[in-house]
Amino acid sequence: MQMSRIGSPSVGMDEDSGAGHALSDFLLQLENYNPSIPDSVVAYYLNMAGFESQDPRMIRLIALASQKFLSDIANDALQHCKMRTSSQINQSSKNAKGPKEKKYVMSMEDLVPALQEYGISAKKPHYYV
Amino acid sequence: MTENTEKPESSCDARRRILNIAVSTVLLETGFESSDRIALETLTEVIQCFFTEVGNSAKSYCELTGRTEPVLGDVMMALINMGISVQGIEQYAARPKRHVIQPPQQASVPRTPAMLSAGSKAKPPPHIPFHLPPLPDPHAYIRTPTHKQPVTEYEAIREKAASQKKDIERALTKFLAKTSETHNLFNTDDNQVYPLIACKPTFPPYLSCLLPTDQVFDFDELEYHFQVANRTEDLPADKKDQSDNEGDNGGDNENSSQPEIIDIPMSSPERLKSGG
Repeated sequence: MQMSRIGSPSVGMDEDSGAGHALSDFLLQLENYNPSIPDSVVAYYLNMAGFESQDPRMIRLIALASQKFLSDIANDALQHCKMRTSSQINQSSKNAKGPKEKKYVMSMEDLVPALQEYGISAKKPHYYV
Repeated sequence: MTENTEKPESSCDARRRILNIAVSTVLLETGFESSDRIALETLTEVIQCFFTEVGNSAKSYCELTGRTEPVLGDVMMALINMGISVQGIEQYAARPKRHVIQPPQQASVPRTPAMLSAGSKAKPPPHIPFHLPPLPDPHAYIRTPTHKQPVTEYEAIREKAASQKKDIERALTKFLAKTSETHNLFNTDDNQVYPLIACKPTFPPYLSCLLPTDQVFDFDELEYHFQVANRTEDLPADKKDQSDNEGDNGGDNENSSQPEIIDIPMSSPERLKSGG
């Protein structure tokens, strides 16, 4: 399959049209990097939506984008978690592990506000209904 | 957080589990030690919806321009439309510590071995395309007879019938000699060498020749009549005498007798009349 370059960039890429091409070139050449999500799983879900591509690099690009998206959400949730635990640590006098508690547990309390910033509202019931 | 992906009942369970693993990997990289189950499931759901959305959107952009195969630009448009910055992807790919170790993909489920296969499947003829399924076992469509053609020559059949008849007679006589009374030719007590089937002489010997019998067509029907129709236990006493007198054949008095008495040709000698 021929990878044809998009000659006229779309509206949103006016200022970084060069960067967009560079990005595409870079990622197209980044074949040795394997994202965490296997290609076949990503391809399966894309096929379910109607997107089929014979080029594995595009699949990897989408996998990478999803991974970045996840890591952004996770970082935001980590910030929330740190804010919450740091206020508790300041109150507790004895702390053997140092200034910060090392173990962070991701819970819904941290995740929901993080998702809220991305426009995803996740309202889970507290008990089975 | 290593998880073993076991063989699931449905295929989407495996992919879901793999997504769980991938999400766990990302969380590990971020710095979390553990997470709630419900948070993990939420993030897996998020990522699944992400794939669906990107796929759908990219396909729509692609078809909008009249193409059928999506290109990089379609994917980029879809990502931008969703609000995901494309510059950050490159930086993210080059991050220093990244977990690229993933459990390898499961091998496909082994095909069930061909059971009940008799013989080798025949090669398809050249006019059949190669992508069609192979031919079934040859016994499914080829019929071979299970026995030889029997001999139809007259001489052979006659000979076979004659030998069978001889065998039958020999076998039956041996059987009778073993089970019924035997007659001994020699003057020994126990005779096993040459047993003869004992002949039971009737008295007088010439009786069967003197008594003419009707031609019997069906012995079963005859026996039925003899047993049922000619029962004398239920008849009153006077009719019993009459049935005794009418029991022989050839008598002219039967025409005037009661019609329910059936003529029995075989009668005991006591009932014999002088004219028989």
